[in-house]
Order: sequence, then structure tokens, then C-alpha cells
Amino acid sequence: MKMTSKVLILLFLAIAFISCNDDDNDPILVAVESETANDIPAPQTGGQGQPVGGNFTKFSFATGAVTTSDTDWDIAFRGTTIAVNGGTVTGTDDEPERNGNAGAFVASGTFESIKDAAGITFTQDTDGSFAIPTGSDNGWYNYNPQVNIVTAIPGKILVIKTHDGKYAKMEVLSYYKGAPAQPDGFVDESRFYTFNYVYNPNDGQTVLE
Amino acid sequence: MNLNKVLTSLFIGVLSASVFGQEMFVQKDSVLIQDLDEVIVTATRTVRQLSSVPLPVTLISKKQLQKTGVIRLNEILNEQTGIITVADESGFSGVQIQGIASDYVLILMNGVPLVGRSAGNFDLSRLTVGNIKQIEVVKGPSSSLYGSEALGGVINIITEKPDDENIHGNASYRFASFNTHDVNINFDQKLGKFGYSLFANTLHSDGYDLRPEVIGQTVSPFQNYTFSGQLIYDFFDTLKLYASGRFYQQNQEADLLVNDQFFEGNSDINEGNLHLRLDHALGSKWQLQYEFYYTNYKASEFLENPISKDLLSQSDFDQNLLRPEVRATYSLKPKHNLTVGVGYNYENLDRTFFDEKVTFDSQYAYAQYDFYPSKKLNLILGARFDNHSEYQSQLSPKVAINYKLSDAISFKGSIGYGFKAPDFRQLYFDFTNSAVGYTVLGYNVAVEKIQELEELGQIERLLFEVGALANPLEAESSIGYNLGAAITEGKVKFNINLFRNDFKNLIDTRAIARKTNGQNVFSYTNFDEIYTTGLELDAKFKLSDNIHLSGGYQLLYAKDKQKKVALERGEIFARDPNSLQTVALDDSDYFGLVNRSRHTANFKIFYEVPQWDFNANLRINYRSKYGLFDSNGNSIIDDFDTSFVNGFALSNITLNKTFADNYSLQLGANNLFDYKDAENIPGLAGIQLFTKINIQF
Repeated sequence: MKMTSKVLILLFLAIAFISCNDDDNDPILVAVESETANDIPAPQTGGQGQPVGGNFTKFSFATGAVTTSDTDWDIAFRGTTIAVNGGTVTGTDDEPERNGNAGAFVASGTFESIKDAAGITFTQDTDGSFAIPTGSDNGWYNYNPQVNIVTAIPGKILVIKTHDGKYAKMEVLSYYKGAPAQPDGFVDESRFYTFNYVYNPNDGQTVLE
Repeated sequence: MNLNKVLTSLFIGVLSASVFGQEMFVQKDSVLIQDLDEVIVTATRTVRQLSSVPLPVTLISKKQLQKTGVIRLNEILNEQTGIITVADESGFSGVQIQGIASDYVLILMNGVPLVGRSAGNFDLSRLTVGNIKQIEVVKGPSSSLYGSEALGGVINIITEKPDDENIHGNASYRFASFNTHDVNINFDQKLGKFGYSLFANTLHSDGYDLRPEVIGQTVSPFQNYTFSGQLIYDFFDTLKLYASGRFYQQNQEADLLVNDQFFEGNSDINEGNLHLRLDHALGSKWQLQYEFYYTNYKASEFLENPISKDLLSQSDFDQNLLRPEVRATYSLKPKHNLTVGVGYNYENLDRTFFDEKVTFDSQYAYAQYDFYPSKKLNLILGARFDNHSEYQSQLSPKVAINYKLSDAISFKGSIGYGFKAPDFRQLYFDFTNSAVGYTVLGYNVAVEKIQELEELGQIERLLFEVGALANPLEAESSIGYNLGAAITEGKVKFNINLFRNDFKNLIDTRAIARKTNGQNVFSYTNFDEIYTTGLELDAKFKLSDNIHLSGGYQLLYAKDKQKKVALERGEIFARDPNSLQTVALDDSDYFGLVNRSRHTANFKIFYEVPQWDFNANLRINYRSKYGLFDSNGNSIIDDFDTSFVNGFALSNITLNKTFADNYSLQLGANNLFDYKDAENIPGLAGIQLFTKINIQF
């Protein structure tokens, strides 16, 4: 991934030089960001038959960090549920207001194989359902009750349109604190997201590599 | 465990006596390793010499049952090539043949089916071997004769029949580890036209506990009883009555730990069988059999709080099967037999999680022509038609060929169709898991139940078209191919068989709706296509008159065809354990279906010392590693999974000594090297020592 980013940076520099020779007004492109977010906490209350509640943890791709802003967030986590800042509230307790234009699409492939967001139809949160489907095997994760483990389904890449119309892709790597390779469902602390993401900060640019 | 120590020392004592006590040596006539009187009835429904049957058959004799000292059917089947007992995801155990699960293996007793399965598995430990004359296992599809369930194979248990005027019988008592007591009483007599046999068995055990740190035992204490009786009456030489009744009862303690709360209760099984048959010879060419069979299987379990006596759960299961059948065999000339049969199946089941008692009706007819187009070539052509009230009618053809190249070598090949009717559960289940909140619905009740849930506001959205459930669920089916050769040369007997079974329309669950609680509603549908393929080898070698060796091996590949296609397209992924990133898998990473070992093997040595009326045997059974479940969420077992169970071998040893012709003493150890895997194989107890006394009269 790092390699790809470097190549891209060089490419951009090259394009930038070429652009200098031409006399046009293209804005200067910013490098695509390829990062890992570690242990983003996603606490929730209730569950196991009780009503689910608690605040969502909001995340911004532009800053690459958790945010408390009511507007400048793209996705938000609570337990295994991921909300997007686009569409309407779903009706669950304690969820944030949607005031952006974010959307999501669950793509299949390796992280590298998703190269572009062009042509993707994004879904937004609506009354009664999340853009990223909830429940085991419906969206990004699988739950195995025998060993009490939530596993990010391999090959599920979330392509995100951010609240302000930019594009990103993310792959959840772990749902457990410290992202252990072999989590123990009865010991390791859950509801901590570790994910790789690529964010293209350039307006209207769909390239994700 | 004091008992174990006592038994161990006894054991060593007898063993050393046998090694150091060798004196005279009596030379006996050498006999062909293949007993010429070995006959089976399961393959064709007529009496056939084992060696000429064009199908892969395993025959287990009474002698083998006695020498090994096993007490339940699963123990002896586990020692046969290509047959293993496995526990599936439900936790229940059943037999696997040619890589095909217990759901698809038909269990017969004297030619009529036994019912009562748990999540599709038939628990063979329900059956005592005390009154068994022989066990016949025909591998591959036999639906052309037996209809539903006979895809992977048919196991037919043949019980002892009265044969002469003297009272024959035996009484035995066996004591084993875990405070296990097994008692058998058996006698039979034939007085002119009238004959009878009576049999009783009881088995009590304290069970065992592989994880003492966890509350509750791994296997709870149980006791069971088997009673059976047979009557025969020869009205004439041409008209003979056979009547048999059997009753089985088991009672086992049950317990469960839920959220740190302990519940206990009881689990009961009651089974009854009634089998009536008239054998009627019409002239010299026609043999007719009029058969009536009824069986009932009841299971119930309850769990309650041991202090407050509040009931946690109560489940009941009550299944009935009634089956009249008429068969006729017409002999065109010697060894040219036409067999035809017609019958009617009436089946019902009343159980917890069903709205009401449900009933199946089916009628069937079959025909089989078994003949020799030339002296060396035997051909069997057969087909059966089943008309069923709940699914599409089935036509099951079969062709089998045996070509005898020479006295030493013969080739056999067969192609057959097998099917399994959708079972009651797949059609009528209505179950909601109270802890997690998901729902499982039978196919026939799914639309109605979904509407009920919708009215209750529990459905978020449907994931399927309601119209897609308009067509009835189809029967699961397979086409089985077997191609083999048998070679008998002097002291060596060698069998090889290549097999392939192509399954389609396998019934599995899929999500059909999403509930407002985020969980799914599942229902059954036809979608899987799998295959099992491999080869079986069996070799018997007579090292000397007194030492017989045998070995067996099965190579097995069992995979899902659609998964293979998805792998080729690069659509199946796993997570790299180091980077945690997704990698795309290909076919070389695909291990195969759950619970299938690539290699299974057995080795046995039987040693006889006739001058001391002593014999001993050692049997070793091996299975290579297998996947228990998909641990990385990509729906296949692949090299990145962490749920593999290591390969292991189990050794069993038995020593037999006969005194004064009629008294015998047996000592032995099952799982001699005390292999255990508490986490993955709770059904495998450690070493079990046993001793048995038997009186023959």
C-alpha cells in the first residue's frame, strides 16, 4: 500500500509538472491518503435481547480521527453497527442526526482490487435500515455464537462517499482491542475497530489507489 | 480409578500367560481366506454370495463382533474401511460413508427401516450388537430398492434366527471403565414347525467427564434396555411366518449451563418395532413375501431449575412409520431372478416446534432383474418409482455389472441414483432462538409464518420473492459411481474401489427475511451441489493359519461445486493472519467440506492359539486432520481456518480365552493409548478397560 502511495505521489508530481507547462487552471491535486485507523472504540449499551443504545463514535476521513462534530463526520460506529452521515435517522436510540451527503456500498474483493468509486450506486441510511446492513453475514461481519467471535468477513470492502462528496474505501481488520490475530471471544475486549482506509481528498476524484 | 488398575494388571497377566505359555503347535488344514458360505441379502433382496455381488459391500460377521468385544453398533462400524462416526454442527453423531453424512445413510434391521434421527443423524449407539448375526453395509446409492435416504449407503442389521431343536443361547456380563455394565441374555429354539428367540440387553454407565473444571459431565449417566423376540412358524414348507418385536428404552440425565445458571433434567427415548412377514413359495419359480412393518420412536427432554423446579425447556418428538410391502422373486432359470415389489409408506411426526402433527404418504413399486448374459458376466438392472405426498415423485434407476475374469480376479462397476425426501423438519419447523433472536422456518410453513411475523411488526424487510416458494422443495439426490476390482490370490485378498457421488439439490438454510432485531429469518432451500470422490482399498493377508492381518485405506475429496467455481472466479477470500488484510483464495487453498478427513486407514491383526482356546486381536484406526467449522467467515474450510482437528489414531485390543468349551473370558482396552481431545471431540472418552464373561449353552 505504501508503495502504491509513493508511486501515486510521483505520478501526481509528474502530472503537476506537466500541468505547469500547460497553461490551464486545474486545481493542484492532493495525494490520496492510505492509512490505518487503530482501535476506534464503538461502545454500546443493551443488546442480547435488550434495547440497544449509547452514542455512536463518529469518524472523519478528512482528519483521519474520531470527531465530536455534529456535521463534519462521515461514518459512525456503535457495536457492530456502522452509520453513515447521509440519508435519515434509522429510528434506533441515541443516533446522530444525518446532515451530510454520505453513502456506502459493500464491495467484494481484496482491498487493492477496489481501485475506483466511479459507477458505484451508494446507499444512504433510511428509516428502519442502515446503508451498511446490520446482522451477521448481512454486511461487513460474521458472528460465530460457538466461540462468541465477531469476524470481519474477508473480501468485504466498504466504499464510502463522505459527507462532503469525496470518496474513500475501508476494510475492517478487527473488532477487538489491539487487533489480535486470533481473538478469544470470551477474553479479548470487543467493539474496537481497526481498519485500513484510502481517502481521496480531491473534489470529484473517484480514484482509490 | 481403582478399577482401571485392577483391569490393567489382569490384562498384563493374561497377555504374559499367552506369550510364555506356548507349547505344542497343531497344523490345521489351510482354508481359503474367503469363506464360501458368506452370503448377503441387502444388495439385491435375494440371497447372494458375497464375492459375486457387483457392488461395494462390507460384511461384518458375528465372529468379528465376538472377538472384538464391542457392544454397540457404532463401535464396530468405526473399524471398517471408509466408515467413521462423526458429530456434526448440531452436536449429534452419525455414520459417514464415502464422505457422505448420516442423513443420507439408510439404517435397516432385517430389511426394514429404523427411524428416529436427531438433526438428521442416526445414533448407532442405540443399537446393541448382542443379538446380531451379521451386519451388511452396501456402499453407494441403493434407492432403486430402498427408496429415500439410501444415497450414501445402506446398513442392514441381520439378527440371529432360531435354527435347530436344541435350546441355544448365551448369557454375558461385561464390566468396563466409567462404571459401565452391559448384560445380555439370549436364547432360541426351533421345535418342528415352531421356532422362537428371545433377547434382552441392558447397558448402564456413569458416563464420563473430560472437563471437570466445567460444571456438568461431558456424557451424563444413562441406562438403556433392549428387548426383542422373534417367532417363526412354518405352516407348510411353502408358507412360513416370521414375526418379530423389539423395544428399546433409554433414560439419560441432562444438564445445561445458561448464563451461569445450572439446569438439570432428563432425556428419554422409547422405540418400538413390529415386523411381520409371510414367506410364500409358489411352485418352484415364485417366491413371495408379504410384509407388514410398524415402528414408533419417541424422544423427550426437559430441563428445570434444580431448586425452584421452574421449567426451562421441554421438547417432545413422536414419529410413526407404517409400511406394508409385497415382494415377489421369479426365477426364470438358476441365477436369473426377477424381483418386483410394491409398498405403501405412512409416516407422521408430532414434535415441539411444529404447529400440529404432520403426515407423509407415499406409494412405491420397484423391479430388479439379476442375470448372467454370459457365464462370466453378471448384470443387475433395477429401478424404483416413489410417489410422495409432499415432493415430486422420484424414479431411481441402477445398473451393476460384475465380470469374473478368472477365479482370482473380478471387476465390478455400478451406477445408481439415490434420493432423500425433504424431512419433516425442513418442511414444518417453526423455531425462534430465545437467546439470540433468529428464527428458522420449514419450507412449507415459511410464507404463512412470515406473514404472522409481519403482522407482529417483527419483519424489517423480505430478502426473497414470495412467489419463489410456490414450487415444492425438491428431494435431495445423487448419482453414485463405483468401479472396482477384487483379487484373491492364495493367502491374499485385495479389493479396490473408486467412487464418486455427485449430489444436487442439497437442502440448506438461507436467510429469507431480516427481522427488526437485526437477526434473520432462515428457511430451507435446494441449493448446494457437492461431490465426494476417492478410493477405497482393502487387503487381507493370512500370515499363517493363526495370524490374520488386514488393512484398509480410504482417500477422500469432498467439496462444494459452487464454491469451487467461486474460487476460480476469485470471489472467496480469507484474512491473512499477519497483516489481517483480505487475500483472494484459489482451489489449492480449499480443504473441502467439514468433518471430512482426506485419509482414513485401519490395520488389524487377529492372532489365534487354538491349543489353548485363546485368541487376541489389535485394531488400529486412523483418520487424518479435518475441519470442524468455518472459522474465518468465508463459508469454506480453507488453509487459513483455525478450526482443524488434528489427525489421530485409536487402538483397541481384545484378549479372549475359552474354558470348557462354553465359558469364555474377555479382557480388553478400547482407546488403549488414552487419546483425548476434550475441546473438539467430546464424544471420545479416554481409555476404556473392560472384562466380560460369557456362558454359551
